[in-house]
Amino acid sequence: MELSESVQRGLQLLADQSAVDHSGFQVLLDVSFRALLSSRADPTILDQPELKHMDRIHLKQIHAAVTTFILEAVKHNADQSTISSCLEELTFSTERVEIFFNTHQKHKKDIERLLSSIGRRSPHINDVSWRLEYHMKNGHLDKINEPFYLISLNTENEGSSEDINFTCTTEQLQDLVAKLKDAAKSVEKASQM
Amino acid sequence: FLLMVSFFSYTVIEEFGRIALEFLRKGANPKIYEGAARKLCVPVGMVQHGVEGLMFLMTESSKHMISEVDFMDSVITLGFGEELNQSLLQLYMRHKHQVRSILSQLLCNQPAYHNLEWRLDVQLASRSVRQQIIPMVTIRLLLTSYDANSTHSCMDLQTDPSTLLHVISTLEAALAAMKTSHARRILRNIK
Repeated sequence: MELSESVQRGLQLLADQSAVDHSGFQVLLDVSFRALLSSRADPTILDQPELKHMDRIHLKQIHAAVTTFILEAVKHNADQSTISSCLEELTFSTERVEIFFNTHQKHKKDIERLLSSIGRRSPHINDVSWRLEYHMKNGHLDKINEPFYLISLNTENEGSSEDINFTCTTEQLQDLVAKLKDAAKSVEKASQM
Repeated sequence: FLLMVSFFSYTVIEEFGRIALEFLRKGANPKIYEGAARKLCVPVGMVQHGVEGLMFLMTESSKHMISEVDFMDSVITLGFGEELNQSLLQLYMRHKHQVRSILSQLLCNQPAYHNLEWRLDVQLASRSVRQQIIPMVTIRLLLTSYDANSTHSCMDLQTDPSTLLHVISTLEAALAAMKTSHARRILRNIK
């Protein structure tokens, strides 16, 4: 994993037993993970009693470095050996490496989910509803007497949902369902490979 | 209008019929009226009324799907010759489906299904996460809407395999609704 100089320096500070004592270390880790996972930024997050005695600038440096490191590790799905060797190179003691790794494992899935939700994608179909109607006549024509379907696809894109409505005849609906079944069959075949 | 129509021959009626249909499809074209008026040596207003009247006859007949007999009965009351009645009937019979389809486009506001294309993808990575394996089905839905002209719209959507199965089973239930005895009874009896 490539880390910038400032991140490396911040992490080295964290590793330094004289700069960050044992309780401060655990608290800093927890605070950093919590900052990533909470939905709102909390400006008082570094105001923990165990961190009161530390230099403010160092605190911010460490906090920024740790959060960056966590995100990179999750992004690249780094395994234990990668994380360990990376931290050891930055002068982390074996004990601190282990504490970091355990905390990382605890929160990894949640951070992964958060990262996956970032990004652009096509609207995602969540549900479909339908209505079968019988068209008898309208203002322009009598004696139509044809059944038709009204289909509504409920889609969602980045939080906002939108309904896509369209009509189709029975034959068209059969065509639509046949094509969707083809897609489903290919998914099944692919999953068996 | 119809009094004037009785003076014209069959081919003229044909011509008027064609103009009337074009009118239905595209709207009135004054140049055509002027051309026809010159050819027949009548004032433009007469041509216009003739065409409009003919058009009205066609649309009302097509709207109600009048049978041949009923059409003849209505036309006879106008007091034309037999030959004219026959040519009007021919015009109606030949064009009534066309007229109906043109009229049906007046109403259709909601987009109608045209086609569906699909693709199976597996997302491997994104800017924020590497090493993913996310199967997804990308769907291109093609719809046609009939407001001004036939405008085609196409939307790209995606879904995951389990939602796809849910959609399929829901739509199969929709198709099954057509086959219930309730639906069959209604379709049979309302004609």
